[in-house]
Amino acid sequence: MKNEEEDVADAARVIAGDVAAFEGIVRRWQRRLISLAWRFSRDRSTAEDMAQEVFVKVFRSLARFRGDSAFSTWLIAIALNTYRSRISSEGQPLLSLDPARAFGTEPGVLQGLQQREREEALRRAVLALPQRYREAVVMYYFEERDLAETARILGVPEGTVKARLHRGRELLRSRCAQFEPVAAEAVKEDR
Amino acid sequence: MSPDELDEILLSDDFLEPSSGFAAGVMEAVRREAIEPSSLPFPWMWFTAGVLACLVMAASASVLAPQFYGLFAPFAHSGTELVYGAAAVGASLAITALPRVLTRD
Repeated sequence: MKNEEEDVADAARVIAGDVAAFEGIVRRWQRRLISLAWRFSRDRSTAEDMAQEVFVKVFRSLARFRGDSAFSTWLIAIALNTYRSRISSEGQPLLSLDPARAFGTEPGVLQGLQQREREEALRRAVLALPQRYREAVVMYYFEERDLAETARILGVPEGTVKARLHRGRELLRSRCAQFEPVAAEAVKEDR
Repeated sequence: MSPDELDEILLSDDFLEPSSGFAAGVMEAVRREAIEPSSLPFPWMWFTAGVLACLVMAASASVLAPQFYGLFAPFAHSGTELVYGAAAVGASLAITALPRVLTRD
């Protein structure tokens, strides 16, 4: 809770007129906000751009923070709304989900495929989920499987988050299953 | 892919380290924001008062107007249309000016 106290103290100083105090909030939160934006975009420069937009919005809205929720919950909710708006207005980034491009079908390519590439293909598949499932999946795993915190940030009951997670995971497994036959076939040909 | 494997992969997603200069860029944007005057919010209260005033005046005019028809009787044979037109213009100007007077600070 030490960070929470520091955030609230810095926020109070900023409201009192000390703009430089906002840097403390920026330094404590930059990694988390950029990483969250990364999970929605899979592009570094887009992620940093979105995170900067969040910080400016947080600065503008500091006077409206009443302490009804934790500062972290309030800030992450602003971030989620910002990322949601950006995706709505600019569309999802164009990332390849094509199994042939993700795994390759040339002899030897699949055998050289790293586990990391398969994992990245799964994380990109999350971006292709419908919005409500995508947000539930991203926020749940970002918050290290804290269902209550995820529900608070999304502003929905825990039961709703559970249902969306369940459906989101089902869709991800079915999309990943489409990759498996290509992978299996490429391994067979290579042998 | 098993549920556990899916969980493990999604939980292990990377955290990005901010590029150097990110915090400085944010503070620059924040300082610009602090210097610029904030945009004025739309004055919904005064706008609503003005609309209500216009509606009251229009309703009053529709009720009271027949009582004033008699005042225009002497002018019935001297350019009736022009007189009624002038009266309508005058009434319209009064209706638009009155809410502004009533909602002035």
